[in-house]
Amino acid sequence: MFKYVKRLQYPINIKRKDLKMAKYLITQYGGSNGELAAALRYLNQRYTMPDNRGKALLTDIGTEELAHVEMIATMVYQLTKDATPEEMKQAGLGGNYAEHAKALYPVDANSVPFTVTYFATTGDPLADISEDMAAEQKARAVYENLIDLTDDPDVIGPLLWLRQREIVHFARFKELFEIYEKELKNRN
Amino acid sequence: MFSQNYIYPFYNQYVTEEDLVRNSNVPSLFTPSEALVYGNLFSNLYDPYKNYKPQDVPARNERESLMRELGRMAFAAHELNLYLDLHPNDTSMITLFNDYREKTNQLMSEYDKKFGPLMINSNSLNQNPFMWEKDVFPWEVKPNV
Repeated sequence: MFKYVKRLQYPINIKRKDLKMAKYLITQYGGSNGELAAALRYLNQRYTMPDNRGKALLTDIGTEELAHVEMIATMVYQLTKDATPEEMKQAGLGGNYAEHAKALYPVDANSVPFTVTYFATTGDPLADISEDMAAEQKARAVYENLIDLTDDPDVIGPLLWLRQREIVHFARFKELFEIYEKELKNRN
Repeated sequence: MFSQNYIYPFYNQYVTEEDLVRNSNVPSLFTPSEALVYGNLFSNLYDPYKNYKPQDVPARNERESLMRELGRMAFAAHELNLYLDLHPNDTSMITLFNDYREKTNQLMSEYDKKFGPLMINSNSLNQNPFMWEKDVFPWEVKPNV
């Protein structure tokens, strides 16, 4: 089961409204390389891992990704909370306002809605873990693109931090992949 | 066009025991304070982006200082948690994990006593009114109180 802890994993306090950045940043909420896709992918894959190392790592990283979903949502919320409908229209978020007002909605930077096809689960541990390694690299690349699109230190700080988490998760998944690869080879 | 160097004003830093005494058995680890700034406890895995140098976000008051210290200990414990999932027999890392885990629990009780509940099993919920919905939620911009 899951329990909520009423704090962010890393502090976020964005003072400057920036609707264009919110429109880009939402991709780490609802895009194919975003945190929601990562959390649900790992928590979905964990059931069919061959041993407890894989089950533990996917559970623990999947759970951390839920904390990152909350961080991205917090950033989008703080970037948009004081916006008027007119400002949203000017920033290309008029369609978003028409459908959802200022509620968060998981889409990518081009407004493509979230889909479960982002889960990418095969049931094969080597295929699934290498998918996860690729996912961490893709998310790292997207964080770099996002950092390049802003000059607000309140936004850059959390983005640098989240980017670094992709690097650590990639390293852990790679270790797990190498363990499984070796053990599966010895079995054959 | 965009600045690659951003520096937060550096004040009110909470210096911890771990900042003063690094564990000599595990020289490749950052301190919990460094780890929370970098997003990485393992210095051998640390990979910066361009010229950006992450800086500590200053705590503005006692509440934020305590929350930050809790964040540091919880993050260090979590990093060791991920490591130990794959290296369950690393005795020195288990010891360090338990050190950070205990400190996290102590700081959660301290925060609970001083500022209110962080979890639905927190002791400060044993009063009227129901404190769970009294505190500011984490996604709100924090007033300096």
